[in-house]
Amino acid sequence: MRFKSAVVVATAAMVVAGALPAAAQDDAAALRAELLQIPGVGKGSPTDADWQKVGEMTLGPTKANIAEGECAGVNLTFMGLNNQNLHNNLFRGFLRPWEAYTGATIEWIDLAQADYNARLQQAIATGTVDFDITEMGAPFEGDTAGKGLLDPMPDWVAEQIDMEDYVGYLKAPIGTWGGETYRISIDGDTHTMAYRKDYFEDQALKDAWAAEGHEGEWAPPTTWEQMNEQAMFLKGKTDPLTGGPAYGVVDPLKYQWGGFGFYFLADRAVAYAKHPSSPAWLFNPEDMTPLVNTPGWVQAIQDVIDLNAAGAYPPDQLNADPNTTGFSQFLQGTGSSVLWWGDIGSNARTSDTSIVGDVVGFDINPGANKVYNWGTGEWEETANRSPMNAYIGWGIYVTNRVSGDELKRKCAWSAAAHLGGKDLSLWMAAYPSGFQPYRNSHFNYEEWVAAGYDAEFVEDYLSSNADSYNHPNAANEPRIPGIFQYYSVAEDELVKGIGSGATAQEIADAIAAAWEGITDQIGRESQLELYRASLGM
Amino acid sequence: MSTGDLIHVVSGESLSERRIRAGRILIRGSFLVLVVVALLQIVNALGLAALGFTDWQPTAIAYVAWCVALCVGQVLIRGETGKRILFVLPSALFVVSLTVIPLILGIAIAFADWNLSSPTGPKFAGTANIERMLSDPFYWNALGNMVWYCLAIALELAVAFGLALLLNAQIRARRFFRVAFLLPLMLSPVAVSWMIGRSLLDFRAGPVADLMRALGWQDPAFFASPELAKITMSVLDAWIYIPFMMIMLLAGLQGLPGEVIEAAKVDGATAWQAFRKILFPLMLPVVLTAFVVRLIFKLKLADLVITITSGGPGGATDTVTSFIYREYRDRSNVGYGTLLAMFYLVIIVVGLTLLMRGLNRWMRPYA
Repeated sequence: MRFKSAVVVATAAMVVAGALPAAAQDDAAALRAELLQIPGVGKGSPTDADWQKVGEMTLGPTKANIAEGECAGVNLTFMGLNNQNLHNNLFRGFLRPWEAYTGATIEWIDLAQADYNARLQQAIATGTVDFDITEMGAPFEGDTAGKGLLDPMPDWVAEQIDMEDYVGYLKAPIGTWGGETYRISIDGDTHTMAYRKDYFEDQALKDAWAAEGHEGEWAPPTTWEQMNEQAMFLKGKTDPLTGGPAYGVVDPLKYQWGGFGFYFLADRAVAYAKHPSSPAWLFNPEDMTPLVNTPGWVQAIQDVIDLNAAGAYPPDQLNADPNTTGFSQFLQGTGSSVLWWGDIGSNARTSDTSIVGDVVGFDINPGANKVYNWGTGEWEETANRSPMNAYIGWGIYVTNRVSGDELKRKCAWSAAAHLGGKDLSLWMAAYPSGFQPYRNSHFNYEEWVAAGYDAEFVEDYLSSNADSYNHPNAANEPRIPGIFQYYSVAEDELVKGIGSGATAQEIADAIAAAWEGITDQIGRESQLELYRASLGM
Repeated sequence: MSTGDLIHVVSGESLSERRIRAGRILIRGSFLVLVVVALLQIVNALGLAALGFTDWQPTAIAYVAWCVALCVGQVLIRGETGKRILFVLPSALFVVSLTVIPLILGIAIAFADWNLSSPTGPKFAGTANIERMLSDPFYWNALGNMVWYCLAIALELAVAFGLALLLNAQIRARRFFRVAFLLPLMLSPVAVSWMIGRSLLDFRAGPVADLMRALGWQDPAFFASPELAKITMSVLDAWIYIPFMMIMLLAGLQGLPGEVIEAAKVDGATAWQAFRKILFPLMLPVVLTAFVVRLIFKLKLADLVITITSGGPGGATDTVTSFIYREYRDRSNVGYGTLLAMFYLVIIVVGLTLLMRGLNRWMRPYA
């Protein structure tokens, strides 16, 4: 067990056990154990009936703060995602018992991932926020809380959801704005590396690796240099599980994913470009000059161009978006590794469509053997690792539409708190939900093992998350308005450049120029101020 | 009122000066209110004075009131003739309200620097958006792609004509085939994108890809190379809309006088001669109508592209509409996106006008 993970596990054990009297501890532990048996690991994907059952079993904290039928007549509108038939689909099931108990009713606005950003931005800009509760990522807090569109969290909610249990990087200032707290975390986002252990245990591949004169052991990669070399090596080899063609890392070369695809280039880039001496990796915090065309980023783009030119990706990779690489490719047996959110881990063992559950391993994102220090303008030939805490996790936010109606406000926050409840969150972390572990109590491996996960898998998966959250050089993105506009235009430039044969520097320069335009359009001074604030400067 | 109109008059009212004056006061007064309210709101919006307006609803209400007053005023001023005007005026006002006013607002937005994330809201941008458009490689690439997409209409038309001839002939199960060939048109392009573009044609699990492998194509990736992606996208679009052209052409064929074709056969014309010298010239107006309507549909191509490729690889399948969609949806760049749409509208209007004029001249010999 890695050291940092061990610390987290110890903390988790204390958090789970420490705060309650013995009898209550037993009840809580029994409830959590029972929850994790719905439907049971290896017993197929959970259904709506399972989600409702989980929602019913975790109503306790709600009942402590709200009387039965207290919300009768209250109608709430909830805007969220429907990715992979998760997110809102689960929330409906979780909240159905809540609706039955409180008497409130909920109307749903379901959005595809790629449509989410636009829908939210348009609602904000046109003053047509038509939802009371929304599922939203912390990067949008600048757009929403910064414009006074959110309702501050009541104290009773903070107590109900046990915010102290959050992992460190999700605590304030994340979720806060101007001293007020607005967010109930339901997710802790970070990209980790999921890889196929069978690739690295395959004797034929080991022999071929040695025979071709590659340096070092045929082992899971820890640097992007190794990732790239292995991807080149695997070209033309046979996948040990499927018998089809073997491939290395599967990058989503159709980056266009409403801005979210840019994270997958950032996975590579931060290893070269996120210097430990500064929290900044996207913009220069002195003047908002983009760092995306500095040599570290250019190296990352160059790596992708080289792999594509060498034919190291599957033939359809130019039309593969992140959904394809994660769910259609990696989980279905294509590629030796993928960089993705933790959903890959929870789906690998519990999704009906995954065939890699028994051979999947996890680690934090690869590092690099060199890092570019944009402060000095020099490359440093030293090992560097920087996990990409992409999107900082989903949260539930209540909008100011309810602020003038105390009953509606209480009901809205109660619904949000139900979804962000401590016990319910454990179930969401362990089963396909679109969310990954985000509380210290989620890292109690024994609970997962008791649920049916094998110890090695759980330790591997959870520690990759915990080590990313707690990494001293983790890349956390800024909560500035329009952040996804920057990402989106970068996606277009990447796709155009890679498809048209442009050089890495040309692509990076085009992105930087577009970013300068966006900064000027939104307002350089205000962006700079918010950017510095988000970096803690 | 002229005597020629008397036959249409159903009441012989005489209009008093007082009534006419009331009508004029109503129209002018409501217009004055509209102007004053709009000016006050503009002053408020420009920040010249804080008048407490939070939205443009007062101006909208004043505009609706003026429209109603204009209609009532016509009756007061013109009597029976005014009533007849009321058969047209509300519709005209409705059309103007929903086309001309948004167009004017659209032009204003097209010259604005307006990013939805900007805390300062829209600002006048002068010609900055135009300059940006002129040097925007994504936009010109998309326009270039549109030329290729539009050229494909010629092939689609040929296929549609062939199918229409087939369905117009006395073949077995003709009614079944007419319905079957129409099915693609009944499907939503988004559904087609998922069912065919992302499922049947999927590189790993798609049956079409499997079939191609069985036929010897090792890597049947339909959207991986720019050329193939463009062709595949065109084929998918054609599959949806060929039935539309086919049904237009079939209707045209069924409206042709059968005796002309029969006379040609009696005179010894071959099938090709009958088609080339008689059928096609007679069908030309329908063919050109189908072409123009299809062209209009083609110029709006976006849903397939957005769902399947997002314009890739390398912009090979991008269309103007899908690019504008990304500019709006992902970048919240309202001002620039509107300018691109306006410029595209101008290209379409000018292009179609010239095309129609050219076609009219060309068709004159057969008219």
